[in-house]
Amino acid sequence: MRPILLQGHERALTQIKYNRDGDIIFSTAKDQHICAWFAHNGERLGTYHGHQGALWTVDVDPTSTLIASGAADNTVRLWEIRSGKCLKVWEFNTAVKRVEFNEDGSQLLAVTEKRMGFLGTIEVMDINLDPEAEQSDEKVLTITCEESKATVAGWSYLSKYIIAGHEDGTVSQYDAKTGEQLDNTQIHEPDMPITDLQWSADRTYFITASKDKTAKLINVQDLEVMKTYVADTPLNSASITPKKDFVILGGGQDAMGVTQTDARQGKFEARFYHKVFAEEIGRVRGHFGPLNSVAVDPTGKSYASGGEDGYVRVHQFDKGYFDFTYEVERQAKAQGQM
Amino acid sequence: MSKVASRPDWADDEELDDTINDTTLPQQTITTNKDGTKTIISYRLNDDGKKVKTTRRIRFTTHKEVVNPRVAERKQWAKFGLSAKDGAGPASDTTSVGENIIFRPSTNWRKDAKEEKTEAGSMKDKLKDKKVKCRICNGEHFTARCPFKDTMAPVGEEGSADVAAGPADAVEGPGGLGSGKSSYVPPHMRNGAAASGGDRMGGGKYERNDESTLRVTNVSEMAEEQELRDMFERFGRVTRVFLAKDRETGLAKGFAFISFQERTDAAKACEKMDGYGFKHLILRVEFAKKAA
Repeated sequence: MRPILLQGHERALTQIKYNRDGDIIFSTAKDQHICAWFAHNGERLGTYHGHQGALWTVDVDPTSTLIASGAADNTVRLWEIRSGKCLKVWEFNTAVKRVEFNEDGSQLLAVTEKRMGFLGTIEVMDINLDPEAEQSDEKVLTITCEESKATVAGWSYLSKYIIAGHEDGTVSQYDAKTGEQLDNTQIHEPDMPITDLQWSADRTYFITASKDKTAKLINVQDLEVMKTYVADTPLNSASITPKKDFVILGGGQDAMGVTQTDARQGKFEARFYHKVFAEEIGRVRGHFGPLNSVAVDPTGKSYASGGEDGYVRVHQFDKGYFDFTYEVERQAKAQGQM
Repeated sequence: MSKVASRPDWADDEELDDTINDTTLPQQTITTNKDGTKTIISYRLNDDGKKVKTTRRIRFTTHKEVVNPRVAERKQWAKFGLSAKDGAGPASDTTSVGENIIFRPSTNWRKDAKEEKTEAGSMKDKLKDKKVKCRICNGEHFTARCPFKDTMAPVGEEGSADVAAGPADAVEGPGGLGSGKSSYVPPHMRNGAAASGGDRMGGGKYERNDESTLRVTNVSEMAEEQELRDMFERFGRVTRVFLAKDRETGLAKGFAFISFQERTDAAKACEKMDGYGFKHLILRVEFAKKAA
């Protein structure tokens, strides 16, 4: 496969998101704009300007009309995808590290940083998906993380729970209506921050990536760890592929040590694991720095990775990827047909 | 004008001598060639005001894809922000295509990668377990540092038939000198080097190994390298597949080379695949002749 290189940012990438149809990619970096790209050929649709600080996060609503972004300028902004217009600005006390729309796009959560005497919080806003409509200022729900700040968070199926990954390696489950903490489990090594949390297509389970060099597949209902993927480098991102039962992990040596190592030793590769057998099945090289974000096309045809090197690389999977099956899978299939 | 006597490359800039001041540029002409390619001749003025003629030979391939109407509609959206001024299609300053990456998921992926790595690190691994041994007193130090250096002769010098000298030399292991004699022994003649050193040289990825390379002829012009690889991979590890293709049409020329890691696999493949029917043609498989 020939990757498409997208050079729309001057600084390290922070997050990449595909929209639900998998035709547009949104990327954010520590420079101050968001880029929108067509996934099939890497053409840039446009850029969104307005933030005054490093951008940490972006998310697309399920209908692909709006995007939300969070930045170090303590704001969350809502944009119209088509025109690049900023529709709404919500102010917070501290930087916003993660935003995510719920399944139907009616609500948006934002994870804020713990800093300057403020505790880390998860805030929820109501969203009106009509770009013409007035958005409300009100924060419907505020969850304060008293023990350890949340680094990532997301909505479970039917927006029933809010799941948050914390700096101390725990994962907690909140009731999405009341904000009450229902569960808190030590999933990763203590004091190893969880760096990413991405959902399966039906949002009944999710994958977390952590600096403790593992990624874990976790059930939403009881926060049970179903699978553990062990890597040899701190992980920054993990994603579950639709169509094929794989997961993709991205990471690499810390940004600070990058200049002291060459690309080979730094382990700046996207690692593919089989989702069920938890076995590594291949790697994709290319970045010159750690991978900060990995995202998979919801239609399963491609994946994109964003690195500390400022590049986004979009890979369209080729036949070998789709053909690959385990011997047992082939046997099971053959028996099923008989 | 459309047919230039000496055929230019597919995209050539020709500087026309006439520095006429009239800025009227001839219309762009497009001619269709016999092999299905198109020749586009366009004119423009360069920075010095000279007229430049650009001849490009392009092949168009239409790739049709059915997409969701929502997706199709989005493709028509006007660009904005920093891309507002970009024309249709990817802009060269933000989008480029990287080098080809071969990604084939496999369960023994780790093993394949390790093989390559051990080749490089094998010498180090071998030396890791080796201990320094004094030839005079068999202590764990260099002979030159031996406290008995001046008082005792090295063990081996008393005669190579000495029983004690035998095991002492054997410990030296691969890479060591032959049998305790001080004469120079070239690396490939040394103990153990024949097996390990030999592989290492031939195992290089890009090194042509004619010993285990097959020449396949009478290949269909529709064949793809991947298909050949799939066909031959069942006999063993294929290190290289080369399918000769026409530069202009992209069709196969009818012959290919397949290199195997092991000659035995190649022999097996040669035997089985010779006369195999592939895409309406019968393959002829034989060992490649050594390049003269």
